[in-house]
Amino acid sequence: MRATMRAPLALSRAALFLAPLAQHKGRLAVSVLAIALGVALGYAVQLINAVALNEFSQAVRSLAGEADLEIRGPRAGFDEMLYARVARMAQVAVASPVLEAEAKLPGRKEPLHLLGVDAFRAAQVQPALIGSAPADLLDLLRPDAIFLSPAAADSLSLKPGDRLAVQVGLTQQSLRVAGLLRASGRERLGVMDIAAAQLLLGRSGSISRLDLRLRPGADMDAVQADLQAQLPPGLIVERSHRDLQRNANLSRAYRVNLNVLALVALFTGGFLVFSAQALSVVRRRAQLALLRVFGVTRGGIARMLLAEGALIGAAGAVLGLVAGYLMAAAVLARFGADLGAGEFRGLHPDLHADPWASALFFALGVAVALAGSLSAALEAARAAPAQALKAGDEQTAFARLRPAWPGVALLLAGALCTAAGPVGGIPLFGYIAIALMLLGTLALMPRLATTVFAVLPLPRAAGARLALAQLQGAPGQAAVSLAAIVASFSLMVAMGIMVASFRVSLSQWLDQVLPAELYMRTGMGGDTGFLSPEDQERIAALPGVRRAEFLRIEQLLLAPDKPRVALLARSFGGDDPGQRLPLVGAAFAPRAGDPPPLWASEAMVDLYGYRVGQVVQLPLAGQLRRFTVAGIWRDYARQHGSVIIARELYMAYTGDRKANDVALYLAPGASPASVMRAIRASIPGAANVEYGAPAEIRARSLKVFDRTFAVTYALEAVAVIIGLFGLSSNFGALVLARSREFGMLRHVGMTRRQIGAMLAAEGALVSALGLALGLALGWVISLVLIRVVNRQSFHWSMELHPPWALLALLAAALLLLAMFTALASGRRALGVDVVRAVREDW
Amino acid sequence: MLVLDKLAKTYAGARSRSVLRGVDLTLAAGEYIAVMGESGIGKSTLLNLIAGLDAPDAGSIRLDGVELTRLDDDAATLLRRKSMGFVFQAFHILPYLSLAQNVALPLVLNRVAEDEAAARTHAMLAAVGLAGREASMPRELSGGELQRAAIARALVHSPKLLLADEPTGNLDPDSAAQVLALLRAQVKTRNAACILVTHSQAAAATADRIVVLTAQGLREAG
Amino acid sequence: MMLLALCACLCAGARAQDYAQVKPGVALQFPRDAGSHAQFRTEWWYLTGWVKDARGRDLGIQITFFRNRPGVAESNPSKFAPRQLLFAHAALADPGKGKLLHDQRAARAGFGLAEAQEGRTGVWIDDWSLRQTDAGYSARIAAHDFSYALDFKTTQPPLAQGEGGLSRKGPRPAQASYYYSEPQLKVSGTITVAGERREVSGTAWLDHEWSSAYLAEEAVGWDWVGLNLADGGALMAFRIRDKDGRSYWAGGSLRGADGRVRVLKPEEVGFEPARRWRSPRTGVEYPVAMRLRAGELNLELEPLLDDQELDARASTGTIYWEGAVRARAGGKMLGQGYLELTGYWKRLKM
Repeated sequence: MRATMRAPLALSRAALFLAPLAQHKGRLAVSVLAIALGVALGYAVQLINAVALNEFSQAVRSLAGEADLEIRGPRAGFDEMLYARVARMAQVAVASPVLEAEAKLPGRKEPLHLLGVDAFRAAQVQPALIGSAPADLLDLLRPDAIFLSPAAADSLSLKPGDRLAVQVGLTQQSLRVAGLLRASGRERLGVMDIAAAQLLLGRSGSISRLDLRLRPGADMDAVQADLQAQLPPGLIVERSHRDLQRNANLSRAYRVNLNVLALVALFTGGFLVFSAQALSVVRRRAQLALLRVFGVTRGGIARMLLAEGALIGAAGAVLGLVAGYLMAAAVLARFGADLGAGEFRGLHPDLHADPWASALFFALGVAVALAGSLSAALEAARAAPAQALKAGDEQTAFARLRPAWPGVALLLAGALCTAAGPVGGIPLFGYIAIALMLLGTLALMPRLATTVFAVLPLPRAAGARLALAQLQGAPGQAAVSLAAIVASFSLMVAMGIMVASFRVSLSQWLDQVLPAELYMRTGMGGDTGFLSPEDQERIAALPGVRRAEFLRIEQLLLAPDKPRVALLARSFGGDDPGQRLPLVGAAFAPRAGDPPPLWASEAMVDLYGYRVGQVVQLPLAGQLRRFTVAGIWRDYARQHGSVIIARELYMAYTGDRKANDVALYLAPGASPASVMRAIRASIPGAANVEYGAPAEIRARSLKVFDRTFAVTYALEAVAVIIGLFGLSSNFGALVLARSREFGMLRHVGMTRRQIGAMLAAEGALVSALGLALGLALGWVISLVLIRVVNRQSFHWSMELHPPWALLALLAAALLLLAMFTALASGRRALGVDVVRAVREDW
Repeated sequence: MLVLDKLAKTYAGARSRSVLRGVDLTLAAGEYIAVMGESGIGKSTLLNLIAGLDAPDAGSIRLDGVELTRLDDDAATLLRRKSMGFVFQAFHILPYLSLAQNVALPLVLNRVAEDEAAARTHAMLAAVGLAGREASMPRELSGGELQRAAIARALVHSPKLLLADEPTGNLDPDSAAQVLALLRAQVKTRNAACILVTHSQAAAATADRIVVLTAQGLREAG
Repeated sequence: MMLLALCACLCAGARAQDYAQVKPGVALQFPRDAGSHAQFRTEWWYLTGWVKDARGRDLGIQITFFRNRPGVAESNPSKFAPRQLLFAHAALADPGKGKLLHDQRAARAGFGLAEAQEGRTGVWIDDWSLRQTDAGYSARIAAHDFSYALDFKTTQPPLAQGEGGLSRKGPRPAQASYYYSEPQLKVSGTITVAGERREVSGTAWLDHEWSSAYLAEEAVGWDWVGLNLADGGALMAFRIRDKDGRSYWAGGSLRGADGRVRVLKPEEVGFEPARRWRSPRTGVEYPVAMRLRAGELNLELEPLLDDQELDARASTGTIYWEGAVRARAGGKMLGQGYLELTGYWKRLKM
């Protein structure tokens, strides 16, 4: 009997807070969706990143195997005799030499990671790199035999016995797929005998890597220090798997960018929950007061409202987890683990839902919703029931938002944060500055609204007059909508300005770095393509070619914890390099007796502390060479740093006369097409080279730019749009809550049109103020994005190019949208029997 | 001044419900009557029809010879704006406007010049005993004061007809008595006709005469 | 002997005419022929012996270096070019352990890290080496479970096998190798097992053989034995088996204590299994005890321990049995040496 009595009671208690939720399905849905979006974004980024890192560490592990230490150097490798020296060291048990290249495969964009190994040594260090039980063991040594990882065989659709063409220089070499590797990971690689690889790639005498296994009991730190002291310049000995961390660093800035987007979405979600709950509390003020009168404690009310928030959060989080998983799966299937950023080339990953990550993001979703509900819950709990039961008390619910100093303090703190440097390569303080500025502006919103609306003169027209009077009298109520507009629009503006500035700067940069009429590149899709000295001579001697500027690209390892730096050795055809390069800031002309000039990219300043006029040393062909930094140039192509030196100097220092790219200036009367034909006709293998006119390269680069940002900013746009939907839904709710007011106004003699005009005026006033503030805030945030976040993440600067027309258009659209929303909600509000609402009393 | 003739109103729906049937009423200028009747009998509907906020199914409403039932919504609204005032049970003083702004609302709608509107509002507030409270916000006022402000708003534009729907329903007896006295005094001072809808015998007693709304129509209270 | 085919299987790709051939009428010359013969396809130095530690415990030792010229990449100028491959096996038969301890190395020759010298014996892979010294040979082996630092002193002149060093392996003249042995080597030095250093001394046998020939197609594997006889003499005998387990070819030599050498004709050598043992690891069954007929000698071969199986799939790609054996005749100990049993796992590819 008691049990049966209990059930309906429990039910009714649940109904106490479920029923109001059920009443506002639309607004509820938007809140849930916003939370879901934030959770989904964050979770997807997390999943994708986990997959990428996992794949990457697997790959590194099978490449490095059981090595304790590894010696690395420039991309082009180092003298093989070091192998004999190191292998003889007492503490070294096994030294396994490796020659590495990104082999260019004719007709394919993706290169094949090609490794030349000594099977006898590799067997003891990296057993995964040995061909798995070949029918003929000698294939491990044959010059034409290559073993593919299962993933590579799969993606190239090759099976043992098939032929694989590899481009070396301008010629194609045919290899026989002798079998598969034992490596089970998803990395795409091919393994050959090291002597065969040296011969194939024309790199006799050099190796790229030495993997060392030490004798049991050897002191690894001591051996490492001892070895490092003996290595020639430009080589670094490091713990195996350090590579893992370096490459994780490499993608971290990009990843953090995405995570911040996810946080923005979550923030939007939390904000929506806040405004929805605040309004819900306003509307249910009397009901809640009634509950207090009936004996529900303050704590009880607060808990009830928090439970509502938690429920919204939980629903959103579950939805978000599912959506995030699907999103991650789709993205991985479409772009691979690096979201198209090219960081984890060659990996083909598998997705796993990690229970910890899932729990974390679920908790995050719930926490954000709870935080959003907190202020409303506390407010409701604080309300004196007798007061709340009186009509006209709604206003006090918003009164608390008023004090000004927290907002000012937040803004100041935000400004201070912009001065801080990166933390671990992440512009942490830049992001914090943006968050603080946003929060500060939001906190100041009621005060700003009061101030601005107070100085506006009351218009004659009854609708507009009432609208302004309403805003002057109840700025707090408008503040919620205002904050939503400011938050959404400022982020939109900031992103818009940043992307536009970047795009314009990139486009100008492309103009500057592409002065010639025709470009030939062998470097696309691998590093095994090149122009031999003979090829170069033939090209330069072609009748249609007035001038040919050749470029050699090498990669130098300058610090153990950083990715390689690109060395561009180029000829300037007698021009002043300072005039030809997109220099930033002052140039410096080396005086007589100074080391020869070098032009460093901005990343070199950020990462290696290069300064104009400074003398720096670069390891070239095993020797340290001195250069004077003659200028800093902007390099949008390489975010890990690059330096330019004269090619003549490079050839003198290294003896390397190959070239990767060439820029051709044509003789009068010659067309790019005719020169291209002439090159194809006179140089064997020239069909394997990529040609491009500057316009094409420009268009292609901008397309890549747009695509890269499309992925990122589509997500941002969705978050902002959901924010605006939430805004309009909240505005609608606000209007609905005022139906008794409209009823009275109808009695007093306002026409429907006048009420509509009043609402439209309210919407327009609020959004105009919101848009103006959003524009100002967005402009400031865009400065932080450009000067702090982008600079610290990617180490390049850009000029400010705000897309005014676009922003104006956007603002106008939003203004119209806000007015339309207000009107539509007014129509809906007047559709309810407002006349009857007047008599709907308690 | 106001003539209702065989007024009828039926609410459509699953079970169509006849609310008003055969309502006849004639109200002279400056006359103050009370309408009583059971809950749900249609008192509010009657007020809505008179105010032009709802249309009858049959019958006619003439205010100073103008047939209200023929007016469209805008015309009815204009008529209401100019010629009618309202007092509600729940006061409906807009929370975000000051007392003066609330009271001046009908003047603003009727496009009375700023200075004149201010003077009339000032005078009106003084008339209802709220002199000097122009800048007060509604939440600072008691229920009785709010209703007095509402009366001020209802009469500030000198309407011919004042419709009061349970104006004392939310008030304690003392305040109710004061408000009723004020209402009658102001109506009479301004020579406005007034229809007071109420459940309260005491309230009804302040009227010139009392009519009772029944299912069959209006009849004079005995 | 042997393991010729083990290396031969690595060479299937090369053409026979690229290699130097075994021809009759070429006399062995020392020290030149103690060194590497890089023009031939395969070559090995095969040390086996019996030693006793200070407490009188018997141990069997085996150290083998193989050289192989795979015939691929001969024109590649790279220092890494695999022109010569080196393999090494080392094993320790300790009755106290109950099974063979063994280890192996493999490397391409080059960079001085792994080489086979010409002109005198000198072959090494990292820290495994066998070098000729003034007194004989010196071996340094650092295996996973044990290590050897052993010196081998020659007490007799080399024993040229077959006809002046040309050893026939089949009925066809091409089926032959150059082959000499150094019996009755005096062993001294240390063996370290599980951290325990043991001074040892004993007697060992070195085989050095090189060839470019293929084994006969009919051959499946072989049985080989080399014995240091107690009276100072030396006996070597082998037979090549066909797929039915019968002798397809056989041979051997017997040097008496007086130094006189008798070359054994195929029909003078007979192997007859006396007891079989099955490996618990590989399931392969070996006739670990044999009755050997060599000329007039009839010997019973009994292993030091049964489990002397060597799994060399990681280097030379096969599994075989190579074990210390005692030779008795009518209950009397006549000598000690090593027995090699191949082709019992799989037919050796040729």
